[in-house]
Amino acid sequence: MSSSRDDFGIVIRSALLQRGAKQKFSLFFLICLSILIFFLDSFPSKIMDKTRSLLNDGIYLTSSIATSPIKFISFLKDKTQDHVFTYQENKILKEELKKFKQKDFQNEFLLTENKSLKKAVESSQEVLESNILDNVSAKVLLDKESPFLKSLILNKGSRSGIKKGMPVLDQNYLAGRVVEVNYLSSRILLLDDLNSKIPVIVGNSALHAILSGSGDESPKLEYLPEGFELKDYSTVYTSGKDGIFPNGIPVGKIFFENNEVRVKLFSDSNQLSFVHVILTNSESNKF
Amino acid sequence: MAIIFRNFRRQLVNLGPVILLYFLAITELDTEFSNHFTILSFNLQFVIIYYWMLRDPPLLGNGHVFFAGIINDIIMGLPMGTSSLTYLVISFVAIYIKNVTVKMTLFTDWFTFIIGIFFANLTYLLLISNFSDLSITYSNLFYNSLFTFLFYPLFWLIFNWYGFLTGIKRND
Repeated sequence: MSSSRDDFGIVIRSALLQRGAKQKFSLFFLICLSILIFFLDSFPSKIMDKTRSLLNDGIYLTSSIATSPIKFISFLKDKTQDHVFTYQENKILKEELKKFKQKDFQNEFLLTENKSLKKAVESSQEVLESNILDNVSAKVLLDKESPFLKSLILNKGSRSGIKKGMPVLDQNYLAGRVVEVNYLSSRILLLDDLNSKIPVIVGNSALHAILSGSGDESPKLEYLPEGFELKDYSTVYTSGKDGIFPNGIPVGKIFFENNEVRVKLFSDSNQLSFVHVILTNSESNKF
Repeated sequence: MAIIFRNFRRQLVNLGPVILLYFLAITELDTEFSNHFTILSFNLQFVIIYYWMLRDPPLLGNGHVFFAGIINDIIMGLPMGTSSLTYLVISFVAIYIKNVTVKMTLFTDWFTFIIGIFFANLTYLLLISNFSDLSITYSNLFYNSLFTFLFYPLFWLIFNWYGFLTGIKRND
């Protein structure tokens, strides 16, 4: 019994401490180093923040360069697909054109409706723009997906005035918020991430709630008042209650699923290439 | 000249697993397919580390495993050291299994891989839930572990084939 325990100890020691001819560090040393780095990074300190920020900028840049062949291949694939399906697309378009010609009598009504909708959109944009102080357009540098975290890396950082907590828009729709800022880059947490919590208001009922990421495509609405009444497809806007986000930014439309109120987001996180970071004055320390 | 070229080619071939490990850590190339099938994701880094540590530990090297982990943490936005530690746990289990096993087959590799995945994900879970503000979905972690385990034989065959083609001999 004791000899088998000794053998076990010897094997463990050997696995942890042995070094091959080419290996400079033992496994034990590297495990201790990882633990040390983890704790240094977990507890905020100025030196670690600066080191991490420098490392982040360098690695994001390297990653962006290393990823460019993959992006180019994906671009070529899309282009080839476009060319291959041109004939088929042409056929479909011809059929659609036929249908539209048949529906010619509806055009007048549609035009009038379109005009009124345009007016509504313009006025809502004006409201939005009047609330916004300034914004910075940024390109999505990396969108490596993780089963656990949904975030993107942007090519603008503190040099462009970006700060932690600032809202990020995809066109005019909320896409997420900034959670990490480096000198030349920043990371945004998407609305569908499990760690995302945004105060919102439901358009037609003026109900306040928290939009909480659930890890899948459609975040949940939480902390709704008791006995609330909501209609399917009501629009959700930011409430601005946190003092960081401007109010009235459209987020998505609600729908019901398994007795839960969920929000179908206007912004598709898989299709983000360029975003706008709203340069609000407030900085959140709640991350 | 031919000898230099042959040595260079051998060195490049030997660097294959390390290059793949760094490439997966640093690029956008990922093994998360939730857009196609909601629960489908697996951790190819675990497979690479476990397979090559069992086969030929000096080929991959613990230092490279550590640095690949640090890079992965930065790209993923995790606290630095989390992935390094989980990768090193996988590496430790692989070296331990290598030391106590006489003859390795696909099935011994595959079933002992469960121990590696279990301890690596336990470490990940303990670090994230106790020492960071991040939340994780346990079901995602479970599915990720499950698919990593299920896909192991496929990558075992691919890496074995690579080893056979390139002449990397199993260091039993």
